[in-house]
Amino acid sequence: MNASSLALPDYRQQRPEVAARFQRIKERPVVLRIEDLAKHFGSGPAARTVFDGVSLDIHRREFISIIGASGCGKSTLIRIVAGLEEASAGRILLDGKPVSGPGPDRGMVFQGYTLFPWRTVKENVMFGLEMGGMDRSTADAEARQWLEMVGLGKFAESYPHELSGGMKQRVAIARALANNPRILIMDEPFGALDALTRCKMQGYLLQIWRKVDVTILFITHDLDEACFLSDRIIVMGANPGRIIEVIENPVPRPRSVEQFLTPEFLALKQRLDDIIHAPGAAEAEEKLPVVKLTEAGDEVE
Amino acid sequence: MSSRDWLGLKHELPRRRQFMLVVLSFLLPLALWSAVSYVPWLWHPFVRVTAPGGVDYFIEGMDVPRAVFAKEKAAALQAGLVAPAGYPVNPVYLPAPHKVARAFFTAFKTPPRLPNEPWLHESLGHSIRTIFWGFVISSVFGIPLGILCGSYRFFSKLQEPFVEFFRYLPAPAFGALCVAILGIDDPPKIAIIVIGTLFQQVLVIGNTVRKVDPALIEAAQTLGARGWRLVRRVIIPATISDIYTDLRILLGWAWTYLIVAEVVGTSSGITFFINQQARYRNFDNVYAAIAMIGIIGFSTDMALAWLGQYLFPWKRRRRASALKSSVAEPSPSSAIPMSIG
Repeated sequence: MNASSLALPDYRQQRPEVAARFQRIKERPVVLRIEDLAKHFGSGPAARTVFDGVSLDIHRREFISIIGASGCGKSTLIRIVAGLEEASAGRILLDGKPVSGPGPDRGMVFQGYTLFPWRTVKENVMFGLEMGGMDRSTADAEARQWLEMVGLGKFAESYPHELSGGMKQRVAIARALANNPRILIMDEPFGALDALTRCKMQGYLLQIWRKVDVTILFITHDLDEACFLSDRIIVMGANPGRIIEVIENPVPRPRSVEQFLTPEFLALKQRLDDIIHAPGAAEAEEKLPVVKLTEAGDEVE
Repeated sequence: MSSRDWLGLKHELPRRRQFMLVVLSFLLPLALWSAVSYVPWLWHPFVRVTAPGGVDYFIEGMDVPRAVFAKEKAAALQAGLVAPAGYPVNPVYLPAPHKVARAFFTAFKTPPRLPNEPWLHESLGHSIRTIFWGFVISSVFGIPLGILCGSYRFFSKLQEPFVEFFRYLPAPAFGALCVAILGIDDPPKIAIIVIGTLFQQVLVIGNTVRKVDPALIEAAQTLGARGWRLVRRVIIPATISDIYTDLRILLGWAWTYLIVAEVVGTSSGITFFINQQARYRNFDNVYAAIAMIGIIGFSTDMALAWLGQYLFPWKRRRRASALKSSVAEPSPSSAIPMSIG
């Protein structure tokens, strides 16, 4: 397409250090295995397949993004992983053991902050710890540490409604991480934030991920976000939902905002763009039946 | 200051204006009442006779319709007799504001006509006791049932259809039954308030609890909460402030049932006082007593609303915007090496 004239490298081409990193990741144990997962709604002739035959191995401390057009079932997929919905076929293995139903071993951060409004910020972080049977004073100390880590120590006694969207989402991340989950599932966590805050949050998330032993499964529809954050990017297609391609991100770590314009980044983004916006992948933009209401010669494009 | 400042749709008014309007909402009806009472040419359908003059059936102090007075006056003048004198008055059932205001104090000081009848403060106390126990007993059953119905489909399907049916049975219809079972004193009155409140309470609280944000429940599940703990630690705290508001509204309804309940068996409480005063045609006392119910109800509600602010501090939104704008977004500390977990 038009970007090909810029002579971008192949997105599969990896620098030696990047290739070595992926080699190391693959040698790590598999934390989460998705085996031939399928989800159908309804039954009989009215049945609709959300996705089918989805298999994926996620290694320890890997950062995986799932990206795809709306309707590809990516949200349903991770809700099944989190145990909030049931699969029609296939199974989920966490550290080799099949799981069903939600549990603290799979932490989740939702797009709508879902902080408990009646609990202070610190009490929100303590929730999972209390559910795990930890006594209050230990949970209190632990929650404070997590809040310090996400930079909100000063807001421990505030209520969620007193925080901005980005701050709320950091509390939600701290709350999920406090449970020491094997995997942190994030469902478009920054989707509701403005562009500037989202950018900051991506930086924070990378900082946190570097410091904590956690594997991240991240859903987004923002190509830049996927390219900036992930190790591997799972591209899903719709009708029926399926994995189209698993891309190893060629952008070296540590990541920084400057990398947005590097050839690897652009090549990767171009590739994602090509898959997601491929003809037939989504409906073509409809021609709107708008009558011209401006004067002749008053063209904006 | 344009009119738009007052009448903007969904437009917050400054606190001073809000207060003015609140005062005005009470002053306007009072002004209307005063006008009808004190402006002689407004309504005043009767004439109080001060001197009978030549009309033989007029007695001093009697109220006659204006038209009758005018006719008799004309007749008396024509017959060469002394014209009757009088001034326009409203019917006895509409006393002027100052009389009702005075009754607020005198009603408490006036001893009852019969030695075994209660004083006004005793009547009021009796009513408040009845409503208190009725509401407490109803809530003891209604709140847990409502929470169960709102939380579990099982209880919702098991309870609500019957409750929905029972809700349509008017509580006063159970009056005779309650007296037969519980005697003629306070128990049947309390029972009627319970019958009138309980079934509404279950449905209203059930609905409130059902409205809890499902995302909060899912979040709690991914944090390891399940079963009854999910109800106790998430559903109840998430809805408790709304349940509190429901209870405030239901308490208002309970007052309606009180008036019915108090005529069941031996008449008692404020209703007894009102009926008794109406019988003696002390309508100023009747209005004062009715107004007292309003004042007690309204001030209880205000007090509960005020208390709610302290019970549910997360509902106080005023501090929010101030804090958000004054504090810059802090960043995660990169200095602390991670030692947790």
